[in-house]
Amino acid sequence: MEMLNYPFMQRAFIAGLMIAVLASLSGSFIVLRRYSLLSETLAHVSLVGVSVGLLFGMSPLWMAVIASLVASWLIEYLRSVYGMYSDSVLAIFLSGSLALAIVIVSLAGSFNASLFSYLFGSILSVSVEDLWVMGIFGSLAMALLLVFFKELYFIAFDEDVARAGGIRVTMLNFMLVSVIAIIIALSIRVVGTLLIGALMVIPPVAAIRFGMGFYPTTLLSMAIALISVVIGLSASYLFSLPSGAAIVLCLLLIFIIALVVNRR
Amino acid sequence: MPLKFSPSLFEVNNLNFERQGSLVLKGVSFRILPGEYCAIIGPNGGGKTTLVRLLLGLEKPTSGEISLFGTSQKRFHDWNRIGYVPQRSALVDSTFPATVREVVGMGRYARRGIFGFESAEDKTAILEAMELMGVSDLSDRLIGNLSGGQRQRVMIARALASNPEVLIVDEPNTGVDVESQHRFYTLLRTLNRTKKLSILFITHDIGVIAEDITRVLFVNQTLLVSQNPAEMIRCDEMSRLYGVPAHVVCHNH
Repeated sequence: MEMLNYPFMQRAFIAGLMIAVLASLSGSFIVLRRYSLLSETLAHVSLVGVSVGLLFGMSPLWMAVIASLVASWLIEYLRSVYGMYSDSVLAIFLSGSLALAIVIVSLAGSFNASLFSYLFGSILSVSVEDLWVMGIFGSLAMALLLVFFKELYFIAFDEDVARAGGIRVTMLNFMLVSVIAIIIALSIRVVGTLLIGALMVIPPVAAIRFGMGFYPTTLLSMAIALISVVIGLSASYLFSLPSGAAIVLCLLLIFIIALVVNRR
Repeated sequence: MPLKFSPSLFEVNNLNFERQGSLVLKGVSFRILPGEYCAIIGPNGGGKTTLVRLLLGLEKPTSGEISLFGTSQKRFHDWNRIGYVPQRSALVDSTFPATVREVVGMGRYARRGIFGFESAEDKTAILEAMELMGVSDLSDRLIGNLSGGQRQRVMIARALASNPEVLIVDEPNTGVDVESQHRFYTLLRTLNRTKKLSILFITHDIGVIAEDITRVLFVNQTLLVSQNPAEMIRCDEMSRLYGVPAHVVCHNH
């Protein structure tokens, strides 16, 4: 517990626990909709925002939020209006944004060390200002997810019947991708852009293995994410590991346990 | 004394629908009145499901007018007055984390509104729908662990939970055994006769419901409405409509 005496660890834990709740809650919806690659894609897009921020001396976190939001709307627009296959749209954005980020990084050529912390997460990098940004946007995202929880669940189960029943599916789909974009951009300090997808996808996938209804599955998913963040951040402090990688390895371990315990 | 006027549940005027440049429905007009049990039949690709999706606002017509309960579809908001059981609804992902109670409860979401918690009225409606469909004892079971027939009953219970005035059922017997189909047809007849629920039923199995239905809508790009189902399902008439030799078997399920 000695690590909690350090302000940087206190900030890392506050940020990590916030992200764990938000990522696992929103992740449940994208996993059930076979849309898991969305988190990975938006994480890569947020890397473009980070690169632009570092290049032009602006806040990388804010730039990541903007880039991720704009991309999420474009992806949803192409999917719903143009009827393009979801996985194809995501693949285009994933590789396209990574290419753009690499070009920007190579043009600047001087902030590789900073970029490394955004790629893999760093417990040293969470500032007080970051916590404020995460607190404000995280609360907004949480409020939206909770208010529209039952509608999002209905859409995940059967989009057509939800729409026929008067649920505003298009508006809620845009809202969900926007919330996910914000959560991903907020997460990159702690987990890193390359690893945030795992925090969104693995907890619900592991929880689903236990064969329960949606509400207990969501709670279990949150518990798995919270446990992984606590263990991962502790391991990061104790063994000087990148925090994102440590958290994801914990998640993988829990996933393997869930698979073994629930062999069907 | 003013005339007592009962508005149509659905009124469709000169409806046209094109998809990617090809005509799917042409000049379709009809009315469905309260209490009717209508079968929609026609060959595959003839536009039956498209017609239902247009009625439900899931597709936008190229031209033409649709009114629901006397209100233009563009201004219609009471979607919970219509229960919908889509095609292949019994084919559910086996791992989806949803209990029977949760799925039936979805039928009340639109009535509850955004901030609405489940009220006593919601709970009663859900329990009644589950009891009516005989799935109360499956309440805590995962939907993916049920048989095709059980899932089908759960999906109808979900549609009934909103206390609809009309039920639209689209070829619901995919993956369902014969015994469950028999129960299903009996239940539809009961709902129509005792609960006065209007039913719009897309099916290929017209012979099995021939005695129950009031009208037949034959859809094959255009629409042909028959007020006399027994006349329409004659072999020579069906052969003419489908364009292939047809042999109609009328049976008690």
